[in-house]
Amino acid sequence: MTLSFLDRENTVAPQRFNRFLVPPAALAVHLSIGQAYAFSTFNLPLTKLIGLKASAPEDWKLATVGWTFSIAIAILGLSAAVFGRWVERVGPRKSMFTAALCFSGGFMVAALGVHLHALWLLYLGYGVLGGCGLGIGYISPVSTLLKWFPDRPGMATGMAIMGFGGGALIAAPLSLLLMEHFKTATSNGVLETFVTMGVIYLMFMMIGVYTVRVPAPDWKPEGWVPSVQPKPLVTSANVAVEMAWRTPQFWLLWVVLCMNVTAGIGVLGQASPMIQEIFNGKVSPAAAAGFVGLISLFNMGGRFFWATTSDYIGRRNTYMVFFLLGILLYSTVPALGHSGSVPLFVGAFCVILSMYGGGFATIPAYLKDVFGTMHVGAIHGRLLTAWAFAGVLGPVLVNYARQYQIDSGVPKAQAYSVTMYIMCGLLLIGFVCNFAMRAVKDKYIHRAPATGSAPRGSAKA
Amino acid sequence: MKTRLFFAWLVVGIPLLWGVMKTLQNAMKLFQ
Repeated sequence: MTLSFLDRENTVAPQRFNRFLVPPAALAVHLSIGQAYAFSTFNLPLTKLIGLKASAPEDWKLATVGWTFSIAIAILGLSAAVFGRWVERVGPRKSMFTAALCFSGGFMVAALGVHLHALWLLYLGYGVLGGCGLGIGYISPVSTLLKWFPDRPGMATGMAIMGFGGGALIAAPLSLLLMEHFKTATSNGVLETFVTMGVIYLMFMMIGVYTVRVPAPDWKPEGWVPSVQPKPLVTSANVAVEMAWRTPQFWLLWVVLCMNVTAGIGVLGQASPMIQEIFNGKVSPAAAAGFVGLISLFNMGGRFFWATTSDYIGRRNTYMVFFLLGILLYSTVPALGHSGSVPLFVGAFCVILSMYGGGFATIPAYLKDVFGTMHVGAIHGRLLTAWAFAGVLGPVLVNYARQYQIDSGVPKAQAYSVTMYIMCGLLLIGFVCNFAMRAVKDKYIHRAPATGSAPRGSAKA
Repeated sequence: MKTRLFFAWLVVGIPLLWGVMKTLQNAMKLFQ
């Protein structure tokens, strides 16, 4: 078998190909790379590689190990932005294949880092190489799905991006199981777990590589007739990637995504200590872990639910719901904490986290509506820099606001109130930007015939 | 094609369901 198997022209689907084979192909990739959200399961074991039962002085510190995840997420955003055009040009199969090699290769290099006890190899392996796998893998099936499902773009991308949320639900128990299995008197099993997971994810992602197909250029779903009635904010034209990011619409959507992610990611990272501190003595660490699991489920389910809903109510309206309902819920959370009602508090955060996931899953279809399908994958890649930015901003805001409150003498149970109001402010900014969204001006529209791939080497389309 | 479709969804569905089930088991501790 030659590598031409990976070329875009060799992935064009035959007649009568069932388009519902493409979502599982995309899921195979997203369920794998979603492992990133469960990397924290390795944090403590990585600080006991030498001491095994307790950290030895020469062991890595928790704070330094924690950088691995941050580097991976930052590289995810950067690589999605840098390689977006390449992914559009070479098609989903080659890009998924590359993502699989990077992601599993990242595990292998990280395993070498564990073996040699070299922290830089862990950063380089899981953080940089794995991060490239995350970024390329995240965007590789998106534009293909949008082309296969022009009638239900939200549902299609929602299914794939749901996998990214679901990946953590699989990886967390799998990592614990593997580390327990490989644990010996001289090893805590991290090295062997990294190698095993690298192999498992490589094989699983290859199922996606093998299954994925692109539709023929003139393909349309059977019986589907594109709507002739113009819809607000839905274009039938295309905007090239190099032109898209010069439009105000790109930056408005960048802020929309950034604010939605910032509001959710900060809470997601602090969920366990937050619920224990707000309901002091009423919620045990085990119950708090249950809370984290529950909101992770809603994060995953929200990706499919809200993206599918956006096919019916429109993308702009969906984000309006995220921002307005988010402001309402965040502003009532302090009162729910004071009232001592755990179920109401948990319910509010389940809805909030469903909208956090929904924001990720709805954005590709929003981009398709505004900029067309021609370079939507590459434009999506550049927009994901908002995620990398929010990944730093969200946790910093939550931690800083909490610490500031505690240092000012506020009891721990009430230290999150200001944080919640800050989140309301962020969501208000997102609301205003979403409200300001208008159709792209004619001067940005691509005039040459649309192609599925980004123009090679040209700065302007 | 239908068999292929069934197996494709099965391959991704089984691990996803396993993960959801494990997470739900964990989440139940919140209400105990």
